[in-house]
Amino acid sequence: MTNHSSSPSADTPRDASRPGTLWIDFDLLDRQIIDLAGNKLGKVDDIELVTGADGRLTVSDLLVGQSALGRRIGGWVGRCMHGIAERLRPEQDPPPLRIPFEHVTQIDSEITVGLRAELFPTPPLESWLRDKLIGRIPGARDESQ
Amino acid sequence: MKRLIGITLGILTAIGGFVDIGDLVANSQAGARFGMRLAWVVVLGVIGICVFAEMAGRVTVTSRRPVFDLIRERLGPRLGLVTLVGGYLVTVLTLGAEIGGVALAIHLATSVHYLLWMPIVAFVLWVALWRVKFETLERMFGLLGLALAVFVIAIFSLDVDWSTLGHELGSRPPDSESWTTYGYFAVALFASAMTPYEVFFFSSGGVEEGWKRSDMITQRANVFIGFPLGGLLALGVMVCSAVVFEPLMVSVDSLGQTVLPVALGLGKLGLAVVLLGVFSATFGAAMETGLSAGYTVAQYFGWEWGKRVAPRQAARFHTVVLVSIVIGAALLLTTINPVQLTEYSLIFSAVVLPLTYLPILVVANDRDYLGDQVNGRIHNTLGVIFLVVILIAAIAAIPLLIATGAGQ
Repeated sequence: MTNHSSSPSADTPRDASRPGTLWIDFDLLDRQIIDLAGNKLGKVDDIELVTGADGRLTVSDLLVGQSALGRRIGGWVGRCMHGIAERLRPEQDPPPLRIPFEHVTQIDSEITVGLRAELFPTPPLESWLRDKLIGRIPGARDESQ
Repeated sequence: MKRLIGITLGILTAIGGFVDIGDLVANSQAGARFGMRLAWVVVLGVIGICVFAEMAGRVTVTSRRPVFDLIRERLGPRLGLVTLVGGYLVTVLTLGAEIGGVALAIHLATSVHYLLWMPIVAFVLWVALWRVKFETLERMFGLLGLALAVFVIAIFSLDVDWSTLGHELGSRPPDSESWTTYGYFAVALFASAMTPYEVFFFSSGGVEEGWKRSDMITQRANVFIGFPLGGLLALGVMVCSAVVFEPLMVSVDSLGQTVLPVALGLGKLGLAVVLLGVFSATFGAAMETGLSAGYTVAQYFGWEWGKRVAPRQAARFHTVVLVSIVIGAALLLTTINPVQLTEYSLIFSAVVLPLTYLPILVVANDRDYLGDQVNGRIHNTLGVIFLVVILIAAIAAIPLLIATGAGQ
């Protein structure tokens, strides 16, 4: 897969003659994000773009979480997914998990982020199920293999 | 030498693991009503699963990503969600059918009603997926599933009229049947060989075991030797059923009938062995479908999944597995006939097959992912031909289900 040298621009289409360009739709969206140790952080559910000084769009953050995905899917299904995700969070109108694009170290079949997963907040559904259900079953801390 | 043993063990596991409740039900029903007239569908289905499993294996080895992970990436979040919902529902339906199969096998051995066994089976299944080292279990049940070879052995002790069976190969449906029932059972047989959970499971397992390029030979041997020999067991079930039930015009609607030819041919000992085989094949498949249900959801959303991490670290994945087992068991508690549940799971599998196999074919052509392992011309020709067949089966499945009143 294309290894990016600089921040990718959003308005350039994928071009074989320019190996440095990324096609957001193809190379970023919906890919698995992992940390340095291979822990899964989620998928690239959406991205955030900023307009630079020269007027070009650049990717600033990867957005992760069902609320971001729900918004992208749209329609009543997307609204449902977004609504459920919002309800699971304790705070009012919470932001999705945001991974600054500068921390992305490699774009391959997965997107590797040069930070440890522990630095990011645990997704609300994961922590709720961990505390209320799975963590209470004997043996939840043991790796079976 | 060690490698050879490893490969042999893998092949044996693949043979035993190939047959599940879907194959048992579809082959014995088709055998009873159509003799060997539908045998070609089993052969077609086995070739199809070989083509796509090999492709999925190649994709997994080179991209280190399981198949369902790629489905969303290639189909986008919306169509990916449709595939997730369809694939998940079919997997849970199949899980229910497998749990029913395990309970029925114990029922036949103990005479205690299967609905009493069912909660115990569901609980043991969950404990197995929660606690036990998975590779050991998979291997054990795969090898014990080889006991189903008694279906092939039983043929030789039954009074088989080979020329009649030979004439049936590829011929039109008998007078007692119509072309629509013929089509209905053809779709069910095809789906039984190509069940979607098999590729979800197979590729996720490959990622967890960390397949490398050097494992490709082992993996190909499993697919190209293991699956066809597994298909041979499925054909054994069909022959047995064709010999015993077709002349009597009896249709098969219980698992007891499926195993009856073995009891007739080989007596009590044969019956004991075949019940062990059915138990192992269905329990092994129940583990695979239970995990696959978790894989599909977790891989769509990008959650942590698998047995390498402690359950606490993959709470969402383990919750999906737990809930799926409960739903599967609840389906059976409606007292639906497990054989009928199996039929439905096969027909609905056929419907979601294109969405499962199309992304595999697309990704297997992606040079960025696969490099020199990308699909060649033969792969693509076979892949496209089978995709057309899969599409026909998918479109025909529901109309045939309605037109025949579920094969009546």
